[in-house]
Amino acid sequence: MSKVSKGVLGMANYDTVIGLEIHVALLTDSKFLCSCSTAFGAPPNSQCCPVCLGLPGSLPTINEKAVECATKAGLALNCQINLFSKFDRKNYFYPDLPKAYQITQDAYPLCSRGFLDYYVDDQLVRTEITRIHMEEEAGKLIHSGSSIVSSDYSLVDYNRAGIALIEIVTAPDIHHPGQARLFVEQLRLLLSYIGVSDTKMEEGSLRVDANISLKPKDSDLLGTKVEIKNLNSFRALEKALEYEVSRQGEILDQGGTIRQESRTWDDRAGRTMSMRSKGDAPDYRLFPEPDLPPLCLEPAWVESIRASIPELPLERLGRLEEQFGLSRYEATFFVHYPDFCQIFFDLAEYDLSPKAIVNFLMGDYARLARERGHLDARRIAGLLTIVKEGLIGANQEGVVLDALFSSEKSAREIVKEQGLEALRDSTELQGVVDGVLTANPDLVARFRSGESKLLGYFVGQVMRATRGKADPEVVNKLLEEALS
Amino acid sequence: MIDRHDVMRMARLARLELSEEEIDQYQEDLMRFLRSGQKLQQVDVAEVEGTSHAVHVAHELRPDQVGTSLRQEAVLSLGPRVEQGFFRVPRIVEGQE
Amino acid sequence: MKELIQSLDVREVSAQEIVQHHLEEIAQHDPGIHAFITVDQEGALRQADDADRRRAQGQALSPFDGIPIAVKDNISTKGLRTTCGSRMLEDYVPLFDATVISRLRRAGLVLVGKTNLDEFAMGSSTEYSAFGVTHNPHDHSRVPGGSSGGSAAAVAAGEVPWSLGTDTGGSIRQPASFCGVVGLKPTYGWVSRYGVVALAPSLDQVGPMAKRVEDAAALFALIAGNDPRDATSAKAPSFQVPAWDPEVLRDLRVGVPEEFFSAGLDSQVEHAVRGCLRQLEDQGAVLQPLSLATNAYAIDTYLTLVTAEASSCLARYDGVRYGKRVEAEDSNTMFAKSRSAGFGSEVKRRIMLGTYVLSANHYEAYYEQAQKVRTLIKEDVLDALSQVDVIITPTTPTAAFQIGAKRDPLEMYLSDLFTAMANLSGIPALSVPCGLNSHGLPMGIQIMGGNFSEALLFQVGYMIEQGVEGSARHGQL
Ligand SMILES: [Zn+2]
Repeated sequence: MSKVSKGVLGMANYDTVIGLEIHVALLTDSKFLCSCSTAFGAPPNSQCCPVCLGLPGSLPTINEKAVECATKAGLALNCQINLFSKFDRKNYFYPDLPKAYQITQDAYPLCSRGFLDYYVDDQLVRTEITRIHMEEEAGKLIHSGSSIVSSDYSLVDYNRAGIALIEIVTAPDIHHPGQARLFVEQLRLLLSYIGVSDTKMEEGSLRVDANISLKPKDSDLLGTKVEIKNLNSFRALEKALEYEVSRQGEILDQGGTIRQESRTWDDRAGRTMSMRSKGDAPDYRLFPEPDLPPLCLEPAWVESIRASIPELPLERLGRLEEQFGLSRYEATFFVHYPDFCQIFFDLAEYDLSPKAIVNFLMGDYARLARERGHLDARRIAGLLTIVKEGLIGANQEGVVLDALFSSEKSAREIVKEQGLEALRDSTELQGVVDGVLTANPDLVARFRSGESKLLGYFVGQVMRATRGKADPEVVNKLLEEALS
Repeated sequence: MIDRHDVMRMARLARLELSEEEIDQYQEDLMRFLRSGQKLQQVDVAEVEGTSHAVHVAHELRPDQVGTSLRQEAVLSLGPRVEQGFFRVPRIVEGQE
Repeated sequence: MKELIQSLDVREVSAQEIVQHHLEEIAQHDPGIHAFITVDQEGALRQADDADRRRAQGQALSPFDGIPIAVKDNISTKGLRTTCGSRMLEDYVPLFDATVISRLRRAGLVLVGKTNLDEFAMGSSTEYSAFGVTHNPHDHSRVPGGSSGGSAAAVAAGEVPWSLGTDTGGSIRQPASFCGVVGLKPTYGWVSRYGVVALAPSLDQVGPMAKRVEDAAALFALIAGNDPRDATSAKAPSFQVPAWDPEVLRDLRVGVPEEFFSAGLDSQVEHAVRGCLRQLEDQGAVLQPLSLATNAYAIDTYLTLVTAEASSCLARYDGVRYGKRVEAEDSNTMFAKSRSAGFGSEVKRRIMLGTYVLSANHYEAYYEQAQKVRTLIKEDVLDALSQVDVIITPTTPTAAFQIGAKRDPLEMYLSDLFTAMANLSGIPALSVPCGLNSHGLPMGIQIMGGNFSEALLFQVGYMIEQGVEGSARHGQL
């Protein structure tokens, strides 16, 4: 990893320091602490039980799959998996929090000390992961008015309450808003690769809190940290951080001081707003959860999870570039679209050039596949092979591709049935060429008197007469001979 | 030493609305309780791990299988104030502990 | 109980008749004792009817099918309100049964009602219930002990043959002692806590209360066992009622901790307990004086942990999903008004203490310190139990006190002086009556043993019971 460098500079007079806390809903069928369904979109309060409603006397039990997903995320992010971890209660009152405490991991998290490497402007950078811990999701609030503050009342749905989350905490290693966005994009991609989350930001399965501070350039003094809560799109993340960079920069420029506080992003107004105006700092009174024994994992179990981790985005990028000679742009395309990448790998098993496969997959095929689903790699290979063999002309490729999408037939069968084989037999084509020239004596005369661009017209006529099947190379040659 | 301010802060944290008399009473109780607890402070616990569970048990995890939830009507039947399938709460004011 | 089961078995009496009889006892005695918050007359008779029908078809669920029982009102019973002795849950009707209740139902037991307790099990006298004071059946001017005072009094008064209580620092054993019944605080984890409204989850256990040791053992066998819904539930096998063999006392090493026989111990209690010890010795047991010096810290440690855990466990009562609600303009005010209206003063006091010991600036000095001292106490107890088979002490320093006698909460907290140690260390502890004092009030003896040693505790308790009854008969002659 000699390529790793430490980020890119931020604003003019200040260094920007950003740390992120990312909440990710895990892809389990049942909730973290009870067996209620996690399915999205059910009628309110219809996926609840004594446990996730916090009814008196109910007790939590940990979902094995959630531990598995959290461990997998930790391993994929190069974390140390702590064989001994504990659960704690974080106490605070809020209408969406059924027990008035959240079960989380404070002192002994499941994973610690990892990192993620990713590209920022062609430079490989590393962001340290401080820790990853498991916790439970809260319920969902629906406000009677347009926002929480302007609502006379709110409605609570506890279907979401108790869904398994991991919180991924980074070191303050990120140096500008764009990098924060790239980090989260890469993180999201990685999480989807390992299948631990659907990472749907619009459904709240991935949410970001960002800590940001500015410090004078090259100073060791850390600035005052401001926390921006609940950024639920990449755009919101980047815009909110950009806003804070300039807001804090202006305050510092004027000799002011930054208040340590939590702020929220108002997307419509395009600015962050202070969330806490009165009262003391929160006191969560964290203490060990007496209802849950510590979690002790077997090393062999952790290894079995490690073994189940597939190739990760960065490795894949490297392999596509180095093994297959793809450009960064092409490799990035395939890393982002694992379904296309799989087809690429399948096609690479055939005797086809990577370049031809890439051009094909990133061309018309991409559009058609998105509309109608992927074709079997074997059938694509059939098409690319007959193109390579010259059985059909480039013009016929699209026709065959359409037919592949609308039938179950192989490319060869389609070509045969529709008679699309390329015509390159000179004697056969000679007749067509002669016919075209005979039918256009005045144009032949004009060509001969110097209008050489008319050659294209003759080629077109020949192609038309052969319904596009004529090999343009052969046609050109015959025309040149006949017209000379 | 615990003053009224401490007592009121605890009451705010615990979401209790206390009368003046209760504040006085709990201030005194807290002080006496802590004074009696002084002797715990003197116990040498260097190198001692805290006990949060009386008996050690191996943590048995639950398989990820969806079980039956309560019916929505049953859930809402408990609620002091419900509306359209939801529990209803008054205005949420941010900025308190 | 043996007789009851036999007469049921040969169909001399029906479950209907048995339940009817106990309902009449309740009707007769409870106005004076007030052991019950809720009596489910209709439901009880219906269950008895079902039991009779099963028995008639030869399909009795267990030998106890049709036997009535009362349950402390902090154990969730589906369809039967569960108040925890609090205005907060005055109208709360659970949607589910606690695991112990399911187990009782599976054995065909008839649930006749829910017994009184100190609000949310916080207290030692059952005076702190929002539904009124329970009186000691032996002397109505005295407390039955607490917090399972209702369950103890109901058994003592013959309103039910047995009952369930919960014990966090002595809440089964102390009322058992005050009311002259048998009560067990099981090994932590042997009985499921699922559906038992939490006071302090790291200390709470459900246990049986009965007139006789044999019955308490039989009831324990019905409720003990692993429950996948309680992650702290032990993977122990089910409990088998032991044989009642006097041989158990031969060479039994009985530890007698001097700290439990020092100043503050009522002389009559001491006399009774020492009498029992002598009898055990006469029957082959070996008494071994020992020291449990850390008991000096037990009450403070216990209070710190119990208030901390309770402050968190009781936070869920916020007026949103269930329970009492007082409307207000905003949610925080609604929370505070509902909680202040729903909780009594002792509950608020403990929430305040617990919030304090967990708060940022005090956590280390109080809560964390108490957790560490708990470790020392546990080590002290386990160390003692590596030298002896059982440890025997008085259950309480005195017999039942007068209602209203302990106005000072800190003095009330001292009621758990001899009992909290078992909860802190997780070990089982059994209280057995050891005679009456000069006022005719019962006194109790406590037998503690290693984890999962309940069978031995019952056996020793049985021998003490035999001895005490023998002496009583002798005394009467
Ligand atoms: Zn649930």
